[in-house]
Amino acid sequence: MGGYRPGWLNGAVAWATVIYLILPITIILPVSLTDQRFLSLPVHALSGEHYLRLLTTPAWTNAILQSAFIAVASTVLAVVLGTLCAIGCWRLSRRSTELVRALMLLPIIIPSIAYAIGLYRYFAKLGLLDSFTGVVIAHGVTGIPYVVITVSTALAAFDPRLESAARGMGASLPQTLRWVILPRIAPGIVSGAIFAFIHSWDELVVVLFIASRRVFTLPRKIWDGINENLDPAMAAVAVLLVAMTVLLLLLDLALRRQRRD
Amino acid sequence: MSGPAGHALSLQGVAKRYGDFTAVQGATLEVASGEFLTLLGPSGSGKTTILMMIAGFVEPSAGRILLDGRDITALPPERRDFGMVFQGYALFPHMTVAENVAFPLRVRRMARAERDAKVRAALDLVQLDRFADRRPSQLSGGQQQRVALARALVFDPALLLLDEPLSALDKKLRAELQEELKALHRRIGRSFINVTHDQEEALSLSDRIAILNHGHVMQVGSPEALYERPATRFVADFLGKSNFIEGEAEPDAGGMALRRGRARVVARGTAPAGRALLSLRPEKIVLLPAEGAPALAEDNVVEGRIAAWSYLGTGFAVTVETPDLGAIRVHLPAWRSPVAPAEGLAVRLGWSRDAAVVVAEDAAMAPQGHAA
Amino acid sequence: MSPKGRHAAGWWALILPAFLLMTAFYVAPILQVLAISVTEPSPGLGNYERLFTSESVQRVIGTTLRIGVVTTAVALLLGYVLAYRIALAGPRAQRWWLLAVLVPLWISVLVRAFAWVTLLRRQGLVNEGLLAAGVIDQPLSLVWNEFGIIIGMVHYMVPYAVLPMLSAMREIDPRVLAAARGLGASRTGAFLRVFLPLSLPGVIAAGVLVFIFSLGFYITPAILGGGKTLMVAEWIKLQILDLIRWGLGAMMATVLVVAILATLAVFSRLVNLRRLFGAGG
Repeated sequence: MGGYRPGWLNGAVAWATVIYLILPITIILPVSLTDQRFLSLPVHALSGEHYLRLLTTPAWTNAILQSAFIAVASTVLAVVLGTLCAIGCWRLSRRSTELVRALMLLPIIIPSIAYAIGLYRYFAKLGLLDSFTGVVIAHGVTGIPYVVITVSTALAAFDPRLESAARGMGASLPQTLRWVILPRIAPGIVSGAIFAFIHSWDELVVVLFIASRRVFTLPRKIWDGINENLDPAMAAVAVLLVAMTVLLLLLDLALRRQRRD
Repeated sequence: MSGPAGHALSLQGVAKRYGDFTAVQGATLEVASGEFLTLLGPSGSGKTTILMMIAGFVEPSAGRILLDGRDITALPPERRDFGMVFQGYALFPHMTVAENVAFPLRVRRMARAERDAKVRAALDLVQLDRFADRRPSQLSGGQQQRVALARALVFDPALLLLDEPLSALDKKLRAELQEELKALHRRIGRSFINVTHDQEEALSLSDRIAILNHGHVMQVGSPEALYERPATRFVADFLGKSNFIEGEAEPDAGGMALRRGRARVVARGTAPAGRALLSLRPEKIVLLPAEGAPALAEDNVVEGRIAAWSYLGTGFAVTVETPDLGAIRVHLPAWRSPVAPAEGLAVRLGWSRDAAVVVAEDAAMAPQGHAA
Repeated sequence: MSPKGRHAAGWWALILPAFLLMTAFYVAPILQVLAISVTEPSPGLGNYERLFTSESVQRVIGTTLRIGVVTTAVALLLGYVLAYRIALAGPRAQRWWLLAVLVPLWISVLVRAFAWVTLLRRQGLVNEGLLAAGVIDQPLSLVWNEFGIIIGMVHYMVPYAVLPMLSAMREIDPRVLAAARGLGASRTGAFLRVFLPLSLPGVIAAGVLVFIFSLGFYITPAILGGGKTLMVAEWIKLQILDLIRWGLGAMMATVLVVAILATLAVFSRLVNLRRLFGAGG
C-alpha cells in the first residue's frame, strides 16, 4: 500500500503477537531434547533419548501407525466424496446445490462434542464403537468440508466452457472428469487432501467417545499422557506432530505458488 | 477431411423460455447440406441460444431439431457429433496443441496411429503443424483460433458450429481469418453455422444469413437479397445503414409512390394505400450543388442544405436537411466528389425509382411472434 | 447454461455419495442428540427446564459466554493489529507473516495445549525463568484456571481472526488511503475515517467466527482449566461419560448447536468460510 507505512506501535504489537503464536510451538523442541527425566530445558547436554524411547515403546509406535492408517483411509474417503460433490454442485449451481454445499460445511461449524455424543449412541446401535471402520467414517465425514472448500475454490477459477467444449466434442461425463476437470483442479484436491489428513491426524474429541481399547490413536495417547504423567517423551511426540504439519503446509504453499505461476 | 457430403439441419418452431423471459420465439430455419449459414443479430437477440440448442447444451422449451430428417432434439451434446468453435476458443490449457486436437478422437477411443495421422492432417489444414507441441498460452490469438478450428474439424463432424469465432481478434487479423474460413468451408464442403454480431463478417462469409432480433428470426436470405430487399426497418438498419421515409402510399404507373408533405417519392414494388415506409441506402443517392450544376435526370429530386458532414477516407458522410423529407444521409465517394461539402451549402439530391424499397415497420412483425 | 432435466442426472449422481454419507453419519447422529434431549430420562421438555431452574447449568453457560467474549475481544484486537501489519507488508514479507499465522492454525490443538502447560505450570519454564531472574519469589499460578484457558484459547483463535480481517483489508483500494492523505487527513485520521470503516465487515466476520468456535471448545479448556473452570463442552462430557445423565448432556449440546447456527444465520452474509480456507498464500 504505497507510502502507507505501519507505525512503531503497530509493528511492536504485531511482532509480539507472532511471538505469542510461535513461541509455545518452538519451545517444545529444546524441551524434547532435554537430558533430564522431567519436562525442562536441557541442563548439561542435548539428548535424543526421549525420541529413542518414543520409537521403541510399542504403545507409542502402535498409536502412530494406527493414526497414520486412519488418517490415510479417511482422507481417501473425504477426497473422493468431497471432490465429486464439489464438482456436481459447481456444475449444477442452483439453489438446492447451495444448500448441499452449506450442509457439507456443517462439520466445521458444529462443535465436535455435539457430534461425538450423538455418534457414540449412533455407533453403539450399529456396532461400530471402537472399530477402525467407525473412526474412518467419522473422520472421513468431518474431513469432507475441507475438500469441498478447497475444490470449490479451485473450480471457481475453472472456465466452464472447457467442460462444454469437451462434451460438445463427444466426451462422456467420466471422460470429461478424468481428462479435463480433474487435471485442472488437481492442486485444489491436493490442498483438500492435506487439510483432511491433518484433520484426522489431530482429531481427539470424537475418538475419545467412540474408541476404547482396540482403537488407540496418537492424540488419545497424548491426551492420556498430559492427564497422567507429563514426561519429555510427550515433547518428542509433539515435535514430530509439529514437524509433520509444517511439512504438509509447506507442501501446500509450494503447490499453490506453482499453480499461480 | 474427406467423407460424405454435408448434412442438412432443420429447426422447426424451436423456442426457449427462461421463466417469463423468452429468449427464442418459435424459430424455423433450414440449413442446406454444405451451406454456410450465419445467425446475425445484436446481443440478446437469441442467436447464441439457438446455436446452443443446436449443439445440445440448451434444451428447447418447444419445437424440434432434425438432422437429415432424424429428430435429435433429445440427444445430449456428446452424442450429436457436431464440431464447435467456442467463443474465446475454450482450448484446454493443460494440453498441448496436438493433445487438444486429439481430444475428440481420444474420447472416441480411436487407435493411436490413426489418431496421430488425423491430428497431423487437421493441423496441416490450418497450417499449424509446426506448433503441435506448444501450449495454447504460447500461441497468438489467431493461432489459437485455428487450433480451435482444427479441433472442431478433426473428427469429421456432421456440422461445424462457430460461436463468434473472430470476435476476440483485432480488425486486420479478422479480415485475414475470414478469408481462410471461407476457403476452408469451400474445401471441406460441410455445413457451417456461424453466430456473430458483426454484419460485415456475416456479409462476406455467408451463403445465407438469418437476422435475429428479440428472439425472432426477422428474415433469412442471401447477403445480397437481405441488403437489397430488406423486409423490415430493423433488417434495413442493422445490415448497413439506411434512410427511412414514411408517408401515404398511392398507386403509380411504374410501381408505387409515397406522398409526404409537398414531396412525392416514387419507388418500385407495391404497397396498399395508407401509411408506408421506404428504405433508401445512403450510397444510392446522388448529390450535386443546387446552383451551377446540370439538372439531375433522376426519378426523384429534392432540395436541401448540408447540415453536417464528415470525411471517412473512402468518402464523405453528409447529412442533408430537406424541407419535406427531414434529414437524409448520403455517402459520396471522396475521389472526385461532385461537391466540396460545407455546412449550409444548398444542394440537390436525386435517386432512381429502384433505389428505394418498401419495408415493414417492426411492430407489424411482432404480433406474429407474441402469438407464438 | 446450467444443465436441466436429463442432462443434470449425471451431475446429481456425483453429489449423491457425499450427501448420503453426510446424512447417514453426520446429520443423523446430530439429530439423535436432539431426540435424546427431549426423551431421556422422560419424554418432554424437562431437560430444558433446567436452563431456568438449575444454578449449575446457568453457571456453566455464564462461564462459557464470559470466556467466549473475553477470548473474542482479545483475539480480535491482536488479530486486527497483525492483519493490518500483514496487509501493509510487501509481497515477500507478507508470505512470511502469513506462514507465522497459518502454521499455528494447523498445529494440533493438543500439542499447543501441552506446550502451554510446559510453559505455564508451577514448575514450568516461565515460572522457573522468573524465579531465576529474581522477579518473583513465589511461582505464579498461570494455568489450571480461567487465565490459562484464555491464554490457550486466544492462541488458538488469533489465526481465525486474522484471515477474514486480512482478506477484507486486501480488498481495500490503497488509492483511497492516498486520496485521504492527499485531501488533508492525518495518518490517524485516514486510518480512523477510511481504513477502519472499510475493514469493518472483516472484523465482524472474524468476531462471529471466533465467538462461535470458542463456545464449543473442548480440548484447550479441559487441559488448561484443570477441571476447575468448566465450559459447556467439558460439562457435556462430564454429564455423559461420568454422570451418565444423557438427557441433560444432550440438552446442553442442542442448545450449543442451536445457538451457533442461529448466530451464523444472523451474520451469514458476512461470514464466508470458503474464503477463510482459500486465503492461504
